[in-house]
Amino acid sequence: MQIRIVKPGLLSTIQDMGRDLYLSQAVPVSGAMDSLSARIANKAVGNTDNEAVIEFTYADAEFIAETDLLIAYAGDGAILKVVDQKLPPERPIYIPAGTNIKLTNNPTGSRTYMAIAGGWDLPDVLGSKSTFITAGFGGLEGRSLKAGDQLTNIDKLSSIAQKIFDNLNAEHINYPNWSIPRQLLLPADRKSIRVVAANEFDWFDKQSIVDFFTIPYVIGQRSNRMGYHLEGAIINRVKKDELLSTAVTPGTIQITGNGSMVLLMADCQITGGYPRIAQVAAVDMPLCAQLKPGDAIYFKQINRDEAEMLYLERERDLQRLTTAVQYKFL
Amino acid sequence: MATQSLTKPTFSIYYLSERAVTIDFGQQIAEHLLDAISDFNALLHQHPFAGFCTTVPAYATLTVFFDPLAVIKSAMPGAGCFEKISGYLTNLNQQKKKSIKTIGTTVTIPVCYGGAFGPDLEELAHLHQLGITDVVKLHTSVIYTVYMIGFVPGFAYLGDMDERLATPRKAAPRPVIPAGSVGIAGQQTGVYPLQTPGGWQIIGQTPLKLFDATKLQPSLLKAGDKVVFKPINLKEFNQLASG
Repeated sequence: MQIRIVKPGLLSTIQDMGRDLYLSQAVPVSGAMDSLSARIANKAVGNTDNEAVIEFTYADAEFIAETDLLIAYAGDGAILKVVDQKLPPERPIYIPAGTNIKLTNNPTGSRTYMAIAGGWDLPDVLGSKSTFITAGFGGLEGRSLKAGDQLTNIDKLSSIAQKIFDNLNAEHINYPNWSIPRQLLLPADRKSIRVVAANEFDWFDKQSIVDFFTIPYVIGQRSNRMGYHLEGAIINRVKKDELLSTAVTPGTIQITGNGSMVLLMADCQITGGYPRIAQVAAVDMPLCAQLKPGDAIYFKQINRDEAEMLYLERERDLQRLTTAVQYKFL
Repeated sequence: MATQSLTKPTFSIYYLSERAVTIDFGQQIAEHLLDAISDFNALLHQHPFAGFCTTVPAYATLTVFFDPLAVIKSAMPGAGCFEKISGYLTNLNQQKKKSIKTIGTTVTIPVCYGGAFGPDLEELAHLHQLGITDVVKLHTSVIYTVYMIGFVPGFAYLGDMDERLATPRKAAPRPVIPAGSVGIAGQQTGVYPLQTPGGWQIIGQTPLKLFDATKLQPSLLKAGDKVVFKPINLKEFNQLASG
C-alpha cells in the first residue's frame, strides 16, 4: 500500500509511541502528542498500538492513494473527505487506488492521526520511528512531510489486519458500521485538565495556588510540540531557591522566572531547572494535545493514587478495545 | 547508638508522573553526590525491578522510569506503583549490595579556538583583561566532570571551569550556533551537540560529533565522564572533520 502527499498541511510528521531508552542522553520522548487517537487509529486497522502513524496538524492537507489502502484515522484536527463524501473516523476504511483524500477543517481540535494496515514503513532510529525535527532524526529523514513524499506500509500484515482488508475489499470506498468510540474514554468536560501537585508545589504563594485551580489559562501563540505557553494569572513564589536541573517529562507544568507557565509536551527537553507546580494526569494529555492557541482550560487537582488508577483503567479499556476489534473479524 | 555509614547515601523519593519517580540525593552540585548517584544508578541497572524502563541522572537526582502495568502486577509490597517502587529503591539502598563500579572515561575534545569558530573569544579575553592564549590555557588546563546530560541530545553539563573565565550570556542570543561550538555561560562551559539558537559566548569549535543518532550510544559523553579540551589549529580541525 502506498500514498503520495499532495499537500502536507501545517505540520505533518511520522510518530509512534516515542522513544524512552535514550532519555539519559537527553533524547526526548517525542511520539504522538495525542497518543490515544494514534492508538485507536492503529487498533482500527488491526495494528499494534506502537505502529507509526501520520500526525497531521489542523487541516489543509491532501494525499493520493497510489494503491488500494486500508487506513483509519482519529483525532480532532480534521475530517477526511473524498470529494464531498465524509469518511468516518475511528474505524477501518478501504480506499481503492487513485482516490484523492483531503483533510478538511474540524474546529474542535488540532491533531489528527492516520494509521495504515501494517504501519508506515520507516527505519527505527534509537528504537522508534518518531520524528524529532529539532535534531533531524526519526520519521521520514528527520523532517516533516512535504508534497511529493511517498509513504508505503509494512507489507507483512497481522492476521487481524489481513482479515479486515479481505472483509472490506471492494471496488469502492468501504467501511464497517461500527467504530471504536474514543469519546467514551474521554471525560465529558474537555476543558478541565486533571493535575497532581508537583514536587515544588509549596514553593508558590497561597493566592497563586488558588488562582491556579480557579482561573482559566489560555493556550498562547508560542505553543508547539515541545510545550505550550499558558497565559493567565502570574504565579508568585514564596521560596526563591534555585532548583538544580532535574528530569521533567511531558505533562510537567513549569513556572518560569517571570511567573509565567509552560506545559511541557511530547518533544520537551528531558531536564529543566524551573520549579514545577503540577503534573498533568497522563490520561488528560490527549486532551491537551488537541488544544489550540486561544483555548481556555481549567486545572483540577487529583492525588497521585487517583492519577495512577485513571492510568491503569485507561490501559485496561484500551486492551479491551483491541479484543473487541478482533471479535468483529473472528 | 547506631553509627551512620558514610558510604550509604540518604535520599528522599518524590512522584514525577504515573511512569516515573525521582530520587533526591540533596540539593547541591558536588562530586560526592555525582558518585552516589552513579553508584546507585549502576546498582539499580544490575538489580532492576519488574517493569523498570530507564533512568535519568541529573545534578542531585536520579529519575526512574517504569511501566505501571508491569509494576502493579509485580509482587513488590505496596498498594500502588509509587509505594511499590519507593519501597524497592529504599531497600536496595539499605542493602549492602556492592555495585560493580562504572568507571567514567576521560574524553579528549580537540577544539580550534578563536577565528570564525570562536567569534566571542576576543571580546571575552578583553572583558577579563586576559590575552587570548591565557583564555585558551585556562580553558584547557582543567579536567572537567560531566555532571549530567540534558538540554538537547548529547549536551553535557560540565563542572569546575576556572572562575576567571565566568562570563554572562550574550544579551541577544544568536539564531544559529553550529554543532560542535564550544561556549561559556556564567560558571559553565559546554559543547553544542546540534545546530541550535543560543546565548552562550562561543570561543571555539570541535570537529567531533557530540551526538550521532545512527550510533548505538548516540551521545559521546555520559554523566560521570571526565573531559579535557585540547587546542588544535585549523589544519588539524579540517583533517579531523574530514576523517
